[in-house]
Amino acid sequence: MCNANGDQPIRLKRRPIAQSIENLDELLSLEKGRMSRDVFWDKDIYEQEIERIFARCWLFVAHESQIPKAGDYVTTYMGEDNVLIVRQKDGSIKGFLNTCPHRGNKVCFADLGNARQFVCNYHGWAFGIDGGLKGMTASETYEAAGLDKSEHGLHPVAHIDSYRGLIFATLDPDAPSLADYLGDMRYYLDAIFDMDEGGTEFIGGCVKSVIQCNWKYASENFVGDILHALWTHDSGAKAMVGGPVAEVHKTPEQSYHVNFNGHGWEFNQDIVGNCATLGEKELLKYLYVLQPKVAERLGEVRSKMIGAISSCTLFPNTSFLPGQNTFRTWHPRGPGQIELHTWTFVNKKAPQEIKDMWRKGTMMTFSPSGVFEMDDGENWEYSTRSNAGFVTRQQDLYLGLGQDTRVEGTDLPGNVFQGQINEANQRAFYQRWLDLMKADSWKTVPQRDVPKMKEGV
Amino acid sequence: MNAKTTLPEIPVDAETQRRVEQFLFREARLLDNERWDDWLALMAEDIHYWMPTMENRRRADKNGSHALDRGALYNDDLRDLTRRVTRFKQPTAWAEDPATRHAHVVSGIEVYQGEQAGEFIVHSTFVNYRSRVEKDNDLLVGRREDVLRSDGDSFKLARRKIIITQSVLMAKNLNTFL
Repeated sequence: MCNANGDQPIRLKRRPIAQSIENLDELLSLEKGRMSRDVFWDKDIYEQEIERIFARCWLFVAHESQIPKAGDYVTTYMGEDNVLIVRQKDGSIKGFLNTCPHRGNKVCFADLGNARQFVCNYHGWAFGIDGGLKGMTASETYEAAGLDKSEHGLHPVAHIDSYRGLIFATLDPDAPSLADYLGDMRYYLDAIFDMDEGGTEFIGGCVKSVIQCNWKYASENFVGDILHALWTHDSGAKAMVGGPVAEVHKTPEQSYHVNFNGHGWEFNQDIVGNCATLGEKELLKYLYVLQPKVAERLGEVRSKMIGAISSCTLFPNTSFLPGQNTFRTWHPRGPGQIELHTWTFVNKKAPQEIKDMWRKGTMMTFSPSGVFEMDDGENWEYSTRSNAGFVTRQQDLYLGLGQDTRVEGTDLPGNVFQGQINEANQRAFYQRWLDLMKADSWKTVPQRDVPKMKEGV
Repeated sequence: MNAKTTLPEIPVDAETQRRVEQFLFREARLLDNERWDDWLALMAEDIHYWMPTMENRRRADKNGSHALDRGALYNDDLRDLTRRVTRFKQPTAWAEDPATRHAHVVSGIEVYQGEQAGEFIVHSTFVNYRSRVEKDNDLLVGRREDVLRSDGDSFKLARRKIIITQSVLMAKNLNTFL
């Protein structure tokens, strides 16, 4: 299993892709709105996800505002791979596996900071912010052994790129471009991350917690499940605004599910519905004042999304809520656990007191102590844990809402479905999951969705 | 902000020490028994109840592990605390039903004179253990810095800073006060 190859040491050569689990098709019967619980429990499925989804897809790694200056860095995860994301002297951004190529120790133990170099604690190997190996303690001993320093830098991610301040990376050299990967979701992303001319920034640091659930329960919840809010979050809504959650199932004509390549967004056009749950009138005023300006820049539809009742997941494991302004990644930790990282995003040009209200608002609603999120974790934990039952997990699950809601001939990009009470996005999410799980490489991933948007918009 | 460690640590008399300890022990019991309204009644009008999240930063990093404008699990005034209590009391607070069992263990109580007359700086350590349904057990350990203010025969809590040891909260939620 060693990567040594003749005279040239190749330090990281990806192994040939492992044999796929057989009969993956039998796990999903999406046209009938059925799926197997094995998807949430099986250890072999999880291992295949790590290889074919997390080591392949573009994954969110940081927001540009977190690392404004040369040497600024954050450490995060791509699947279970720990990575270091560093701003370079020329303003570009690089990403590396956070591990020393000498004996494998973790190189950077801080969550974030600024560095001129990264020095491994074990034998003092020192790396520049460009990942290059600069030197080490007792360097003459390595020179005597003929070690080529240029061959022993930190291992870079395959590609790194950003869209509207959101930095993504992939560990697969054959991945399509980020623009292709996000495709028409970029149209909708602009409604949030380009609603204001200054763009967005992350504020208030990162709040981290562990939930004993399968990562897909979290992703599928944000990709399209507003329905749960009416029931799960009744107590949170009563706490924050003194009344129940809005009954959006009664007005499907003003809301949609849209999806593209497994990414999905469910949204209303009520401008401020999500934001209203923070219970801060000043925030509503801010959005109402902004809305006509957004309409001028991005058009009427997107201007009504800026704080509306809505949620989005970017496949596979990054989600956010417009209006509540929480942004999060669900890092997988085996089939039965996730590590949740959450941030608050705000418009960079918003007044400080508005930013502060949002920082507090995400804490009060969507954080481990938040009055909404508090009831989510338990649902996902027991949806996962119930499948320990040998017979229990042979019972299929239902995912059949909105089978006949497809809207044709609309100007909206992506696959469009009428009514946000729907499971169209969840089905598209699992279709994409299955496509990736079955494919040996990016070349054999079916191109179901063709973008209407041009490259590099 | 909160109990300033730079203040001289001027001790209080044994009776005041005893009364502060009784206040904190009673507070812990109110939380163990989910007596949320009685607990809220211990808060001063201007309460600042703060539990920052802990960032792992190098020692040389002047930003430190936490700050008021960074991550927090609580950064509350009285309105915020009241909202949280409102949720606890809803019959639809599903993650509270069946009830969670709480144990708030308070120890290491030190009491010093505060900046203002009638105020006290109180340091304490805590162990918080929560058990839910069959075997969801969550442990939090940390240290608190409080400002208590004399209020008739008793006190009101005016400031609380809660520092926990965990950086990644090892629990699905934080459905308690500390």
